Amino acid sequence: MSTKVDDPRIIEFDVRTDEMLINMGPQHPSTHGVLRLILRTDGEIVSEVEPHLGYLHRCAEKIGENLTPRQWVPYTDRMDYLAGMNMNLGWALVVEKLLEHDLPEKARHLRVVISEMGRIASHLVGMGAYGLDLGTFSPFLYAFREREKILDLFEKACGARLTYSYLTPGGATGDLPPGWVDECRDFLAQFKPCIPEFHELLTNNQIFISRTAGIGVMSAATAISYGCTGPVLRGSGVPYDLRFNGEERYTEMYEGYQFDVIVQDPETGKYPDPHLEEFDDDLDYPEIPKEAILGDCWHRFYVRMLEVVQAIRLVEQALDKYESASGDWGQPIKLTQKLPKGEAYLETEAPRGQMGFYLVSTGDSIPWRVRARSSCFCNLSVTSELCRGTLLADVPAIVGSLDVVMGEIDR
Amino acid sequence: MGILAAVNSVYWHEFFFMLFAGISVVFAVCVLLTQNIVRMAFYLVLSLGSTAGLFFLAGAEFVGAMQLMIYVGGTLVLLIFGVMLTAQQRYIKMNTHPTDWVLATIVGGSLLVLLIGAATGVDSWKDASASTKALTTLDADDARTATPLGLALTGVRVDKLDTDSALTNGQSGYLLPFIIVSVHLLVVLIGAAYMARTKRSATAPVGRAERARLNIMQMEHETDDVVYSASKQSSSSLLNSGQDQAEESTDEAEE
Amino acid sequence: MRGSLVSTGASTVTEFISQNIFGLDDPNWFMYLLCGVIAAVLVLHVIAVGALFFIWAERKIAGRIQDRLGPTRVGGKFGWLQTLADGVKLIAKEDFVPRDADAPLFKVAPYIAFAASFAAFLALPFADGAVAHQVNTAVFFVLAVLGLEVFGVILAGYASGSKWSLFGAMREAAQVVSYEVPLGMCVVIPVFVAGTMNLTTIGEMQAGWFNNWLVFHDPFTFIAAIVYFTCATASVNRAPFDLAEAESELVAGFHTEYSGLRWSFFFMAEYGSMFLVSALASILFFGGWHPPIPIDIWILEAFADPDLVAAGPLKDAVPSLVTFLVMLIGIATLVAKSVIGVIVMMWVRWTFPRLRIDQVMATCLKYCVPIAAVCFVGSMTWETLDLPSMNTINRYEVHEDWSEDLAVSTAGQDEVDPDLPEDENYDDESSDVMDGEEAPIEEDSVAVQNGLLLQEGE
Repeated sequence: MSTKVDDPRIIEFDVRTDEMLINMGPQHPSTHGVLRLILRTDGEIVSEVEPHLGYLHRCAEKIGENLTPRQWVPYTDRMDYLAGMNMNLGWALVVEKLLEHDLPEKARHLRVVISEMGRIASHLVGMGAYGLDLGTFSPFLYAFREREKILDLFEKACGARLTYSYLTPGGATGDLPPGWVDECRDFLAQFKPCIPEFHELLTNNQIFISRTAGIGVMSAATAISYGCTGPVLRGSGVPYDLRFNGEERYTEMYEGYQFDVIVQDPETGKYPDPHLEEFDDDLDYPEIPKEAILGDCWHRFYVRMLEVVQAIRLVEQALDKYESASGDWGQPIKLTQKLPKGEAYLETEAPRGQMGFYLVSTGDSIPWRVRARSSCFCNLSVTSELCRGTLLADVPAIVGSLDVVMGEIDR
Repeated sequence: MGILAAVNSVYWHEFFFMLFAGISVVFAVCVLLTQNIVRMAFYLVLSLGSTAGLFFLAGAEFVGAMQLMIYVGGTLVLLIFGVMLTAQQRYIKMNTHPTDWVLATIVGGSLLVLLIGAATGVDSWKDASASTKALTTLDADDARTATPLGLALTGVRVDKLDTDSALTNGQSGYLLPFIIVSVHLLVVLIGAAYMARTKRSATAPVGRAERARLNIMQMEHETDDVVYSASKQSSSSLLNSGQDQAEESTDEAEE
Repeated sequence: MRGSLVSTGASTVTEFISQNIFGLDDPNWFMYLLCGVIAAVLVLHVIAVGALFFIWAERKIAGRIQDRLGPTRVGGKFGWLQTLADGVKLIAKEDFVPRDADAPLFKVAPYIAFAASFAAFLALPFADGAVAHQVNTAVFFVLAVLGLEVFGVILAGYASGSKWSLFGAMREAAQVVSYEVPLGMCVVIPVFVAGTMNLTTIGEMQAGWFNNWLVFHDPFTFIAAIVYFTCATASVNRAPFDLAEAESELVAGFHTEYSGLRWSFFFMAEYGSMFLVSALASILFFGGWHPPIPIDIWILEAFADPDLVAAGPLKDAVPSLVTFLVMLIGIATLVAKSVIGVIVMMWVRWTFPRLRIDQVMATCLKYCVPIAAVCFVGSMTWETLDLPSMNTINRYEVHEDWSEDLAVSTAGQDEVDPDLPEDENYDDESSDVMDGEEAPIEEDSVAVQNGLLLQEGE
């Protein structure tokens, strides 16, 4: 890239003799995808971090100008490929918003089941990979063991394990197969006792706490000013969750469900208890360690852990509602459905933050402009602020706590 | 057999002595002859390591282990650290002037003459095979245990127990030098710790948790407008620091 | 002919070879060299076969901890030969040296690390009589040589010519050198409880039931054993202290640029060191080559000739075949205890995250060193005040030649001379050497039966 000598923000310029410019990535076991971080460091303390993106750019938005909305659904899968269902949901909702298409009740509950199961799967990866960044390998494999079961369920539902294209504009491509609901309940029953294992290995582990508590502290104002969303924002104490505070077309999907915003209460300093009666009474949620400061890596991690428990709760409610609902699963719109002239933008609460899709149409079946607002893009932008002045070993801890997926950032 | 006679003619102790001494000397000479400073340090490691071998051969196991632990494992590690960290492109080669060679030859040569004179001047050492045999039949534990050494350092000379004066006069062995050296080392340790402390200046980085709390407190007092101006301020501070660094670099370039 | 260079066992073998095969009365230097080479090859096999086994064990244990199986194909259902297959693969790799690397230093670095790890095995007794070289200051020697492994690491990191490798090497060297301090302090505790640095003697003192193990001597030695294990894990760079190999941070640290056989030498050195510090822990704290139930003593007693028992150590009163058998049992016990130690290290590695370098240093300086120092003082107090202990070790009896002179020279002195230094006043009832008589032999003391009290100079 072209650099101007007197532009001080280009850090390749003027490295002192006791400093090094170190390149972390794009191929690196620690970064979550093809992320390139240029660090200016004196060997231990990092004074400057600059992320370089674009290694996974696949022109998805440009391609969207040549395909109909239903044809573009697979491209959303490949953005945040670890939470494909939620990406599909965001796109489906915005197309339905433009079309002003309403869904049957069963379709709404089906979407809740699927997107919350996707949230569990995504957070399992986020948590496991975070342990991997910090050097512990076993929780990663335990998390993937559980995730395999979720992917098996998804495979039964739609035929694919990672790139689903299941939730389409109009509903879903097909109904859940018979017996799926019971299998899902069985999975949840055996998954709940596994959660204390993860707390034992990670959340409560003294080494993990000393690696993450007090590291990468981000105040609420910083988080808001950088546009961070999702667990990153809620980990700094900002009570904002699009499932409550979002647009009506999105929040009405969650109408009738009992759940909380996972954020620390400023007065009591506690997180909301998901009130799962099916848990035994002696399963305590881990106490917040005294070294943890609101807005640090540990809190962001903790928010994700609690979101998993809350997602289980939502899935259980949704399964009951799905079984008792009327209507069909939501027939997809026609492949070449003509879109009305106009534009629509909708943000949804994806596991990694607020994922927004923007659709501009000139009345044709092929949109004029498609835009994906990536949640991880803004989350990643705060890296340079958080990593300034930290130790080299803290950089993967901070980037891991932001839980970024490069597919979504680069699109 | 002729070979066997030839092999037998070399006493085993002499053979191993030649081996270790040869390694020591060869690598010491290599230290002189090489110009790469990291390799110099490495050859010194090998040379001092085989000196430890010489100690073991003489039966002084404690001193040999000391040599390995203190000299090789301590002093040379420090040396290699220093050499390795500063051996960037410019500083790897050590160019010696011819005058340095002359001076070194004079000093080293005179030391060599002195040592050879001392080694050959002692009559009891002249009979090579007898002395090495005497050395190898040294089966007293005095030479090989650390207990007499330790007791001598704390005051009791167990090798002088047969003289009554040793016990009745309370001969103190090496207690006083031991205490003096210990106190000296303590002083050195404290001095080194003091000199190597992190120096706190006015803008020194505070601890991480402290900085985090300061950050939060600072940010909580900002309003929305100030957020924007704060970002402008930080970029202008980058500009200032960039200009400062630009001036520094031009100064360095001029030098 | 006695030589100071070669241990009793090896000189016997040397004499045997030279007399019977070459027809000489006195072994010459070639015989000694040959014997030395044989001993070295035997020790080398310990490390090499140990590494073979440990790499397989690590993969299986890692697999089981991670809810999977590990190698299951090569060499049968349990993947026994997986390490061999890996070794063949590594040997077949391309041998390259990076362009910016200092080639001779780059090539020699793995061998230095391996040599340091190997040299420490020379003084390690696997059983009474099964030691490559009987060094009287064995503990000190082993610690000294272990500290030389850091050279291999530093040279590897520097000579690779890459910034990442240099980082890893610096951090690892700092870590190893720092942890030598609490390691040394923890090692000194059993040394002064036993009264000698000779590993064979320390091992022999723990004969009998497991209550005789030095770890149960007092609560401070118990804590010291745990601190020793932690410091030993840190000084061989295993997780959670394995920043130098931290895969997710610095790719592979100081051995980033190494591949093939050179890389495998580093890992043999690492597994060798792990085995060594575990074996050292076993000998110093956990009874060495004596099983928790004194099977070896029972075997010796069963085959002892009653006429010879009172005349000398128990070992001399049994046929040499039985001694050999007991030695084998001892070797097997020591190896088993060391393997358990290594497995614990592996278990810890696959469970915990990794500590940062400043946390590693903080653990060393703020926790390990003070705890070790407190244990040292506590243990010393316990010994000095002669507080009750589960052991039957008798520390105050010194068994070296010059102490016999002391007994002879002070024969007839009834009182304790107040001018004498403290050490000479053996006024506790456990030692009666001052009275000019022979030390009373406790018949049931295991130490007696193992020839401890009547040990001649070696």
